[in-house]
Amino acid sequence: MPVLNVRGATVSYGGRAVVRGVDLAVEPGEAVALMGANGSGKSTLIKAVAGLVPLASGSIELFGTPQKRFRAWKRIGYVPQRTGAASGVPSTAAEVVSQGRLAHRFLGMPPSRADRDAVTQSLAEVGLADHAHCSVDTLSGGQQQRVLIARALATDPDLLIMDEPTVGVDAETQAALAAVVADRIDAGCAVLLVTHELGPLTDRLDRAVVLADGKVVHDGAPPRPVGEHADPHHEHAHPHANGDTADEAIWGGK
Amino acid sequence: MNLDLSILDYFQYEFMQRALISALVVGLCAPAVGVFLVQKRLALIGDGLGHIALTGVAIGFLTGVAPMWTTLAVTVAASVVMEILRSHSKTSGDVALAMMFYGGIAGGVYLTGIASDKGVANLQQYLFGSLLTAGWDEVWTIAIGGAVVAVLMLVLRPWLTAICADEQYARVSGLPVAGLNLLLLITTAVTVSVSMRAVGLLLVSALLVIPVVTVQQFTRSFKATMFAAMGAGLLIAGTGVVASAAKDVPPGSTIVLIGVAVFVVTALLAALVRRVRRVRRAHLPPEGEPLEVELPAASA
Repeated sequence: MPVLNVRGATVSYGGRAVVRGVDLAVEPGEAVALMGANGSGKSTLIKAVAGLVPLASGSIELFGTPQKRFRAWKRIGYVPQRTGAASGVPSTAAEVVSQGRLAHRFLGMPPSRADRDAVTQSLAEVGLADHAHCSVDTLSGGQQQRVLIARALATDPDLLIMDEPTVGVDAETQAALAAVVADRIDAGCAVLLVTHELGPLTDRLDRAVVLADGKVVHDGAPPRPVGEHADPHHEHAHPHANGDTADEAIWGGK
Repeated sequence: MNLDLSILDYFQYEFMQRALISALVVGLCAPAVGVFLVQKRLALIGDGLGHIALTGVAIGFLTGVAPMWTTLAVTVAASVVMEILRSHSKTSGDVALAMMFYGGIAGGVYLTGIASDKGVANLQQYLFGSLLTAGWDEVWTIAIGGAVVAVLMLVLRPWLTAICADEQYARVSGLPVAGLNLLLLITTAVTVSVSMRAVGLLLVSALLVIPVVTVQQFTRSFKATMFAAMGAGLLIAGTGVVASAAKDVPPGSTIVLIGVAVFVVTALLAALVRRVRRVRRAHLPPEGEPLEVELPAASA
């Protein structure tokens, strides 16, 4: 039974179909990349899988249950497309990561031993054990991204969904994260990864699904880089990766 | 010594005791809600609910029911409508909110106009607060309402933080996002209703926001921000009541002015501290962080 089964999924934004009739299945323990150019619909598809945008037609099953009736969300670790881990009021890295355990806790009850251990362990996994009590808005962009990944790992997922987790992350950290994710794959966790660049994280892939204009154009072996992307020294520029502004300083920062 | 005695003297009067108790309760519970509103970037929602509350007060005048109860009913109903608008409409949401706020003020003034024929209406004391005229019944209502709000916020802190910091993530982790959002807005409505006697509907939002933005300049964690803001709110409200008694001016405005002054002073102080700290690096890069550039060979 696939952990994720998408059949004929169509998603529309304002009457325009962004994802058109996509089929996608992820087996337990399988690592699949969802690739494609900007605007190909890969992020939209993953948002539909996470239940954040509604389907216009088609169906999504998670762990064999139709998405509408699916309740075991704690089996899914989700890393959203980077918007920064920081927000209006300061929060420590440990506080952000502990959000990943809330689905395991009863409303209003204090964290259990297992909850606290999972937070400590996932912070250590991404190499931020020493930064647990630092405010996330004092961390670098790459460190904030690792906090978000630690949060997804803390829920102890059977399916890890990551939307462009390596944007704005330096090469060394990418390699470290790839090792962390590879450990989880070896432990039987399935991974669905949205990316438009090939890097350390894509080396461990079983399969790649390539979208173009909202349709699947390739489903099979991971593609090899072409053109300037094939250059190992190629640096991807992401102007949207970090939106920090200085003028918020008087209000205590983000 | 003389001054101390004279301040204590004020609190021989029961109306001063009542004023102080109400102000302290409001000072403690308003920032407990406000910290989530600031996190959610909804800091002005308290203002909006304060506008709408005016209609509630006027309905109280018209029907002869205690205005606190009619205000509570109207603001809770309004917060439910606001949450529905916020979650279901994308672009026109803030326009609809603006309409509700204008409508709230206009409705309040209009209905008060009708009620004034009966000679009972005095909007002023609800607009700007009138702590000194609150009876013991009202003080108990404020205390119970405030305590319920504070306890709910403290117990649900991790869940409310999650929906306020990253609502999409909270949704994917299967949290009851809609219910928690609604709960937050309803507790805001309760806070506005119980605070209106203390600082007035036009200034309610100040007590929700000022203690939070003041302390968050120095805190690192959400938990510390929440507790420190509640402490700051308590101090600001208490000082405000005492100072207003000494100068014989309305407590609401005194509380808010003290809050604004405290914020300005701490903002300047925080800027100064950051300037000093800038030379000292707080976070070392993780072990083995690469330079990512190749240093040119040192020129001999």
